[in-house]
Amino acid sequence: MEAKKAIGTNEERTFRDKHSFMMFITGSIVISACIVVIGMAMYNSSGAAQLDLSRPGYVSVRSQAASGESDFQSYSSVGTLDKKAIEDFKKLYDKQTQKLKTVDAFGGSPLSPESLGVENPLAP
Amino acid sequence: MKIPKKITAVGLLIVSLLSLAVFARAGAVSSSLSDQQIQNIRENCLSTKTTLNQLHASDALLRVNRGQIYESMSIKLMTKFNDRVASNNQDNSSLVDITSKYNSTLDSFRNHYMAYESHLSAAISIDCSKQPVSFYDAVSVASSDREKVHSDIVKLNQSVDQYKAAVDEFEKKFLAEPKEAGQ
Repeated sequence: MEAKKAIGTNEERTFRDKHSFMMFITGSIVISACIVVIGMAMYNSSGAAQLDLSRPGYVSVRSQAASGESDFQSYSSVGTLDKKAIEDFKKLYDKQTQKLKTVDAFGGSPLSPESLGVENPLAP
Repeated sequence: MKIPKKITAVGLLIVSLLSLAVFARAGAVSSSLSDQQIQNIRENCLSTKTTLNQLHASDALLRVNRGQIYESMSIKLMTKFNDRVASNNQDNSSLVDITSKYNSTLDSFRNHYMAYESHLSAAISIDCSKQPVSFYDAVSVASSDREKVHSDIVKLNQSVDQYKAAVDEFEKKFLAEPKEAGQ
């Protein structure tokens, strides 16, 4: 019985010794695949995917993305509050407000049946 | 207790038929497209796909550029001004309330845009020449999501205006205070 066990252990060792490199490579690939799947799930669920203009399909608009916020000046949260401080804030605020109101973002109905060349199914 | 194989098979068959009936009904209810409209979708399939792809890209750009401004408005201006007002022992409650409402609308905007982008991508991936009804339904869902995103934008702009009005109001009170104290 003990002799059989010893033979079995020797066979296992031989198998491990023979395939140790393959097992290491396979294990590494499996672990990498798991990490990639988890990473992709987080990338999609966090909303980062929607902001990633490096994805295929966004080539035409990539160059138009605001590269930074250099022209967005931050207001200081410390300091005395006087007429000038409030006027400075209002100046910064109005500058950004104007930008927001230049275009009616996500307005219109580009996905309506009429826009897509299909009549309204509810129309008589 | 063993259930005879025949009964199991008949049971499974009934369940399958019921499921089929439910799905068929759901499909029929989802769109009431006429043959002409289905034909229109098939004929315009290529141009519609091109339009959707362009819209997908331009909306993504809008989301990135607008999103940056909306977030900075909150982080770099509203919150900072609220802190400054508070650090000078002034009442900033109305400003904080509007900022809080603004931030919650900004969260809705992010979530609604995620849903919209996901549904629009799903619509684009459907072959409209082979599955015109499914394509139409998917576009309808995306269209409804886009309206929600637009509604969030309108609310955000309203909050921006409300905050400005609150700052004007605060300024008026604040500048009047020393005069009152002097009287």
